Amino acid sequence: MKIDMSIRTRTMLYGLMCVLLIPFVFPTWWMVTSSVKPISDIFAFPPDFLPRTYEWSTYQRVFELQPFAQQYWNSGYIAAIVTAGTMIVSSLAGYAFARIRFPGADAIFMVVLLGLLIPAEVTIVPLFQMFNQWGMINTHWPLILVPVFGAPSVFSTFIMRQFFIALPIELEEAARVDGLGRFTIFRKIALPLAKPALSAVAIFTFLHSWNLFLEPIVFISTPEMFTLPQALTQFTDAYGGAMWNIQLAAATLTALPVLIVFIVAQKQFVEGLAHTGLKG
Amino acid sequence: MKNISKKLMAMGVACTMLSGGIVSSAMAEELRMTIWSANEGHLALFNGIADGFVASHPDVTVKFDSLPFSNYTTTVTTQIAGGNAPDLAWILETTAADFVNSGALYPLNDALNAAEGYELSDVSKPPLGLWSKDDAILAMPFSTSPFAMFVNNDLIKAAGAQSPAELIAAGEWNWENAIKTASAVGATGKGGLIVRDFKYQNWKNLASIWSGWDAAPWSADGKDCAFAEPEMVSAMNFIHDAIFEKNAIPGPGESVDFFAGDAALTITQISRASLLPKENGFDWDLVPLPAGPAGEYSLIGQAAIGVFAAGKNAELAAEFLAYMTNPENSAKLAQFFPSIRGSLLNAKTLGETNALLSEDQLKKVVIEGIANGSVIPGHTGFAQIEQIVRAGLDAVWVPDANVEDALANVCSRIQPLLTR
Amino acid sequence: MSQASHIVAKSPRAFWTIKRRDQVAGTLFIAPQLIGIIVFVLIPLGLVFWYSLHEWNVLANSFKFVGSANYKMLLADPALPEVLTATGIFSAGLVIFNMSLALLIAVLLNQKLWGIVVFRTLFFSPVVVSLVAWTIVWSFLLQNNGGINAVLQTMGIEGPNWLRNPGTAMFSIIVVQVFKNVGLNMILFLAALQGVPKELYEAARVDGASAFKQFRRITLPLISPTILLTSIITIVGSLQVFAQIAVLTQGGPGMSTTVLVYYLYQQAFQFHFFGYGATLSIMLFIIVAVLTFAQWQLRKRIVFYEN
Repeated sequence: MKIDMSIRTRTMLYGLMCVLLIPFVFPTWWMVTSSVKPISDIFAFPPDFLPRTYEWSTYQRVFELQPFAQQYWNSGYIAAIVTAGTMIVSSLAGYAFARIRFPGADAIFMVVLLGLLIPAEVTIVPLFQMFNQWGMINTHWPLILVPVFGAPSVFSTFIMRQFFIALPIELEEAARVDGLGRFTIFRKIALPLAKPALSAVAIFTFLHSWNLFLEPIVFISTPEMFTLPQALTQFTDAYGGAMWNIQLAAATLTALPVLIVFIVAQKQFVEGLAHTGLKG
Repeated sequence: MKNISKKLMAMGVACTMLSGGIVSSAMAEELRMTIWSANEGHLALFNGIADGFVASHPDVTVKFDSLPFSNYTTTVTTQIAGGNAPDLAWILETTAADFVNSGALYPLNDALNAAEGYELSDVSKPPLGLWSKDDAILAMPFSTSPFAMFVNNDLIKAAGAQSPAELIAAGEWNWENAIKTASAVGATGKGGLIVRDFKYQNWKNLASIWSGWDAAPWSADGKDCAFAEPEMVSAMNFIHDAIFEKNAIPGPGESVDFFAGDAALTITQISRASLLPKENGFDWDLVPLPAGPAGEYSLIGQAAIGVFAAGKNAELAAEFLAYMTNPENSAKLAQFFPSIRGSLLNAKTLGETNALLSEDQLKKVVIEGIANGSVIPGHTGFAQIEQIVRAGLDAVWVPDANVEDALANVCSRIQPLLTR
Repeated sequence: MSQASHIVAKSPRAFWTIKRRDQVAGTLFIAPQLIGIIVFVLIPLGLVFWYSLHEWNVLANSFKFVGSANYKMLLADPALPEVLTATGIFSAGLVIFNMSLALLIAVLLNQKLWGIVVFRTLFFSPVVVSLVAWTIVWSFLLQNNGGINAVLQTMGIEGPNWLRNPGTAMFSIIVVQVFKNVGLNMILFLAALQGVPKELYEAARVDGASAFKQFRRITLPLISPTILLTSIITIVGSLQVFAQIAVLTQGGPGMSTTVLVYYLYQQAFQFHFFGYGATLSIMLFIIVAVLTFAQWQLRKRIVFYEN
């Protein structure tokens, strides 16, 4: 916003950001470098900034010890479905809450908002009972159905609602006068304009699904069905101790694609969000 | 947007089918056993044993579910609460009392007696105590691992202190001298003695020290708190002194790893020998725990397999358990998990599977340890008691602590739970 | 839907008045979300309430109706005041620290500087780093002999024993949690900042307003809806954090970092008191609901434009 900045201001800003970055970057750095350290070096104190020796074989072991490619695929396709499903569910609901006035809408909105408030631990036991009755234990259904329709999608609905509220209504009014139905207006006019908000919903939903931990552990029990965060806990030695270097190699592999997507998509993502109703 | 969503959805549904996501198990008789190991060696061994069982029971399948250790009990409990109890499960010693006393476990006596060639008499009785109620055996220990002390002789030599081996040879291997050695190494800036995994939180691991004072957290029947008894007070004062006066034990909030070569001594289970560095290592040794004022002692950690009464096939599961722990399979299990079968507790058998350790070390530490060892403390409702004691002991882990008062306070907080 | 759409809205005699059509359309649009909430939130919540009226020992398989006994136990629980205090300190600290840091970083990242993309990515990176790795590293750094105290020592300051000192343990956990997730709020703020029309600043500068005044008078009011949204998310999130507490302090020293959700987790899953755990869940839920409702009402005062 400030177009001309003195060299001094710039240097100060860079300096400030670099200092601020240390607590953000160091753990990541440690995760990546420790993934190629021999296990006995990982807990050496003080931690080594660079590995003393490099054991690249840890990355190979990740795939030998677990069906890691399959688990990668599981996490990937679940996150993709959840993201797509949430985009549909939340844009429909968000649009209706923002645009369509009908009796009970506000009450329903408050009820839906409840979903934002429930920690996963609170409802995990009843959910397990339900999915057990439906024969869906050790399938991916709970990891798909709950995020798309249940509590986690409420945040997305909220974002979509805020976006549509801020969207100028004139175009839609005109379409209504022309006699177009709500769904057509939504699909042909509102939704194409909602790309920025949808991209925000997509990133948040994808991250949430990708990092889901408690639910997979409770619902899934076969290694071939595991998701990545769950798989990370499975690299243990013959005595139940964690094989830290291999676990960290797997953790690095897990973080990598998301970081790359973020790097590639961040400009669009941030600018997209900037134009959404998050500002009102 | 819509198109993309459609494609994604279609792709997703296809993927679900490909990966078998929808297929739910419809096997008539599947035995499911939850374990906290995901080690490939373990799983290969278990699956091998299961194959042997299936060979004689063709319509049965056995499946091992590896759960992360940190969430193990949570997950098993959720499954039970949700109406999908596993048929068999590994159970940790600290939760033994909860499982044994709750009636959740299926008695094994009939299955063990019926199993051909089981030789129940070969199983040593003291380690079974924790897993029995009245005369019913409710779980079978499959792993019994003694606590011992690993030594870094390089650090001790550099500090000019006496090594445990020298002290043992001189007949002076006791806590007084062990702490002297640790203190000398502590003075060089390295760590003295580490009680592994204690971290000023998992206080039950301190049993590896206070047992030498004949101290225990509660009476043998579990009804009376014993933290304030003179034995415990004296043991805790000794530990407090070793931490804050002698610098022999790294203080709270200090992380020092023995296996990275940063400490002189560590108390842990012998199975941790696998953590010793393979290259650029140090001159290490394994010795029994030092004698305390109350004499020599040893401590063992245990894990057992139990059958859930709520499981669909409890009887069949018990049969599998008997098969898994029969003499032949126990010998196989012993390559990872020290057995409590007398016939397997000899230096030769153990030596075949513990290449790192000498026969002498195995005899002194493992065989004698299992024969005489007491088990890590446990109690009904242990998790809750553990947390309260943990919170109470935090008052001990400060330099100017009043140890006696803090311990009395622990007792006043847990006594109602012990008699509950 | 399609039926509705080709009936002309203006006809006064038609059954499908605008009102009716909106009712149907609205219901259909909301249906997937609403059914999902009913099935995956309300029914489970109802079951949790039902459990809270029972004494449920999972292991012993005993499920006994005890009426309000668990609620009476809750009111008499000697640990509860400590737990609620810890929860309050934790949530307040987390929200304040998280929001201010997120805003600070967002303002920095909103400058037109070369290489800002790299900085953005790095500030965001902890969000995707494995929680386990994250917690391990921080437990190292926060040791008495750890990295942070080593740095402080070079400056001649003797650092506290971060995780073992009741005063600093809570602070440490807050910091660890904030650094992990502040990236999400940062992005929301950054987006909001970029949505502020530049003309406003130019006009303000012509009027001679200082940078601080511009921030206070223009930026803050215009991003207030985002502040509201992020504060709701953060408060709600803060009441759900427990993995780090389990690893870093186990709720100690003493009970100083035992927050409500950790206490709930202990009671239900570690101590096997499912009924009491359910009771705590209901209390947690009521607290969160009241807080959120209050914030939502507050929006009318602090948020400058909505609807």
